[in-house]
Amino acid sequence: MPESEPRLIRGYLEVLAAQLPGPIVEELADGLTETHRSYLSWGLSEDAAAEAAVAEFGSAEEILAGFARVNPARRTARRLLGFGPVVGGCWAAALATSRAWPGSFPARVALGLALVSCIGLLVVAALDRRYRVAFYSGVAGCVGFAALDASLIVGVLVVAGVASWVTALAMAFSSARIALCARAAAAAQQNT
Amino acid sequence: MRAEELKGHLDAVLLATLEGGPRHGYAVIEALRQTTGGRLDLPTGTIYPALRRLEQAGLIAGTWSVVGGRRRREYQLTPAGVRALSGRREAWRDFSAIVTSALENAGLENTACPSPNPA
Repeated sequence: MPESEPRLIRGYLEVLAAQLPGPIVEELADGLTETHRSYLSWGLSEDAAAEAAVAEFGSAEEILAGFARVNPARRTARRLLGFGPVVGGCWAAALATSRAWPGSFPARVALGLALVSCIGLLVVAALDRRYRVAFYSGVAGCVGFAALDASLIVGVLVVAGVASWVTALAMAFSSARIALCARAAAAAQQNT
Repeated sequence: MRAEELKGHLDAVLLATLEGGPRHGYAVIEALRQTTGGRLDLPTGTIYPALRRLEQAGLIAGTWSVVGGRRRREYQLTPAGVRALSGRREAWRDFSAIVTSALENAGLENTACPSPNPA
């Protein structure tokens, strides 16, 4: 929004820009400018037209809540959290039957901590109403899970190979999860 | 009509506004006003998340252009969006016919079949 725009509109867009990605704010700024111009063409003063345009747009809270609901990170996080117990159960069975559990105690602790951190990030992405917080938590959670899945697949292949159908199933689920994360990352790139 | 009353039908209404060709957010709102005679009272800002949701669902596609030094996002129906609009239009006609029939014929039903006299 140029400097010449009324302070009310600039302030309104600054509130939105603090939470939403740049492209979304640019789109809203274009709409708000058009709304403002429309009121100016009806003969309203600069300030009155700005007040009318902002009132017509709705409160910043309403808009932020609307975008929070369509945040792609939220949807992906909810899918991953729903899918997670199935993948986790398969891996637990695969590791137990193939005796390919990470050997040392520190390795097991590291794996557990990484898993809990990724789940935590996805829970934040699924529930937090702040767009940026949900977005970046979702991206971090996706990257974490993709890395965990890749490590598990490579680790088990090296140690035990595809020892059973449960291992094959766990690897297939993990591959699907990596693909979902990659697709979500590509979609996220369009939003930022 | 307020936004809450339109819940569940907003997507179809937005798809219909894009049937005539690509439009940007403000043009979608203007088209809604014109087609409804200004009777649809939606906060303008709520249209934008709805457009994003439709884009994520693959029903519309957005492209950027530059107009008057500002970046502008325009949306157009995808083939899936055209099919979805057609389906929703048909579903709405059925729904509307059923509800209209129920509302307008309920009185006639009572007249035709009076309740039995307890005496």
